[in-house]
Amino acid sequence: MPLLLAMLLAFNLPILLMLGRSVSGLEFSLEHYQRLVEAPVYLRVLANTFKIAAISTLACMVLGYPLAYWMRGLRPGWQLVAVSLVVLPFWVSILVRTYAWIVVLGNDGVVNRTLMGLGLIVDPLPFLYAELGVVIGTTNILLPFLVLPLFAAMLKIDGRLLDAAASLGAPPRTIFLRVFFPLTIPSFGAGAVLVFILTLGFFVTPAILGGGRVPMIANMLETLINRMPRWELAAAISTVLLVVTLLFFALYRRLTEASEGTLR
Amino acid sequence: MINPAKTPATIIARAALFAGSLVAATSLGTVAHAQLNEIRMMEAGGASGESIEEGYLKPFTEKTGIKVVRESPWSLGKLRGMVETGVITNAIVELDSLAVEQAKALNLLEPLDWQAIDPMPIFDEARQEKAIGYQYYSTLMAWRADAKPVSSWAEFWDVENFPGKRALPNYPTYTLPIALLADGVKPEDLYPLDLDRAFESLEKIKGHVSVWWDAGAQPPQLLKDNEVQYAVAWSGRVAGQEGIGYTFKNALLDLAFFTVPRGASAEQKAAAFKIMHEMTVPENQAAAAKVISYTGNSPDLEPLLPQDRLDEFPTTQANKQVQILPEPKWWFENADLVEERWQEFKLGL
Repeated sequence: MPLLLAMLLAFNLPILLMLGRSVSGLEFSLEHYQRLVEAPVYLRVLANTFKIAAISTLACMVLGYPLAYWMRGLRPGWQLVAVSLVVLPFWVSILVRTYAWIVVLGNDGVVNRTLMGLGLIVDPLPFLYAELGVVIGTTNILLPFLVLPLFAAMLKIDGRLLDAAASLGAPPRTIFLRVFFPLTIPSFGAGAVLVFILTLGFFVTPAILGGGRVPMIANMLETLINRMPRWELAAAISTVLLVVTLLFFALYRRLTEASEGTLR
Repeated sequence: MINPAKTPATIIARAALFAGSLVAATSLGTVAHAQLNEIRMMEAGGASGESIEEGYLKPFTEKTGIKVVRESPWSLGKLRGMVETGVITNAIVELDSLAVEQAKALNLLEPLDWQAIDPMPIFDEARQEKAIGYQYYSTLMAWRADAKPVSSWAEFWDVENFPGKRALPNYPTYTLPIALLADGVKPEDLYPLDLDRAFESLEKIKGHVSVWWDAGAQPPQLLKDNEVQYAVAWSGRVAGQEGIGYTFKNALLDLAFFTVPRGASAEQKAAAFKIMHEMTVPENQAAAAKVISYTGNSPDLEPLLPQDRLDEFPTTQANKQVQILPEPKWWFENADLVEERWQEFKLGL
């Protein structure tokens, strides 16, 4: 019990304080939530944040699954090389990697200069300073969070299951769709939810690659806390964000339990 | 009827207050012991922070033996956190003109003891009851040397005759007055701001704005990278930079302040006032201006500045009179409304 109490204090006191502030004032009141609903701008920023998070998650899923699958097929030595290539960027600061995209994708950047040099385009393509830039940067930074657990789960799949399916006459396509893929769904889903939740709180990348044109909730909270300062409203928005995130998490749990159920 | 004493919110709030005061009580003891040979300052950071070090902190430490640890950036949130928990870690805190008004309204500041500061002559607007203006800076129009120079905000808005992408601040306090000036409002008629007209004027240019910047380092970089051809920038970031043109004409002059958080100890206050004194000495201001081309609050500073670079400084006779000072009170009274409309405007992008 004392340990449980210590954990509650250490991990959840800030959250309790925030919840308290969102309804505080001289007495209990929901006025900050009312404000939130009356001024639609905050809810729209929340919605925009969820949209960007969904797109980034989808991009990570589309890129991450084939990558992990390909890594599984490599010989052990090459697998080590591949994993270290995925992990390597973790040692480089997010800020540095975000600025690196400016060098690569900017108007005077490597990609645009190459394309213009080849005569494929006349004016530089606007990769940065819009949603596309934010999605590229976010996907780049969060991809390992999806690939690594997925790759680990794929390695654990018993090869004899696949052999058994083959010996019963299933073509490779069917083996993948009916045996291999369902076995990877839980970790695939877990990785996706992880990426989704991390994107919700992203700050640096949207601030720099969004050019101030992609309003995300973390950046808005920064304004409300540090510039305004309207802590009560910020607490109310954070509470909404927390609740919605928990709902997504619950939904994910239902989905994975269901997928595990079909296997049994 | 809800009984306020029994709601979950009050219970949580009380528990939090109790926990907070425990933390405050234990840490206060340690702070009180360790402070005499060292105090902390919260400031904007970057070259501005280095100019404070060079101009004001070096002479202060030489005279008093007290070391000053700089921490950046400043934020109203950090100041509020310090005052509300009662743990004053930073004896002296930088704020901009709007934040001074906000901090006064939230009762976060100690009154300054001007007798203890014992200032040399300074401009009137730099001397307030709870804040000392220490550094003038300008928000002005800048352009790539290979773009057609602009000489008014109307021309800055004119994308037909002055083609190119723009970068504007992600701060309505700068963009809204500029938008009105571009629309033909005279500087003396700016306040109270006509918000509807300002946003209408912004609508006209927003399709050409690549970046709404947050950090002062962004506009010069965007200009150099050829991401934009025209930018609204802070004067110290572009003045004297190769390949960038700029003008102080119709620029927005502003003043950054230093304050003392409410609840600072007597020793902290004494040290803060001594630093503030150094901020009124023209020779110190000239040393600071060598690091960044912002200028201090002394009317006697001009002869001490490098004469070949006079045009880079916002408070020279020639530059100060063509610029516009803000009305922080108006911004304070309308802050919430402006911020919401600003976010809505950007969401429409």
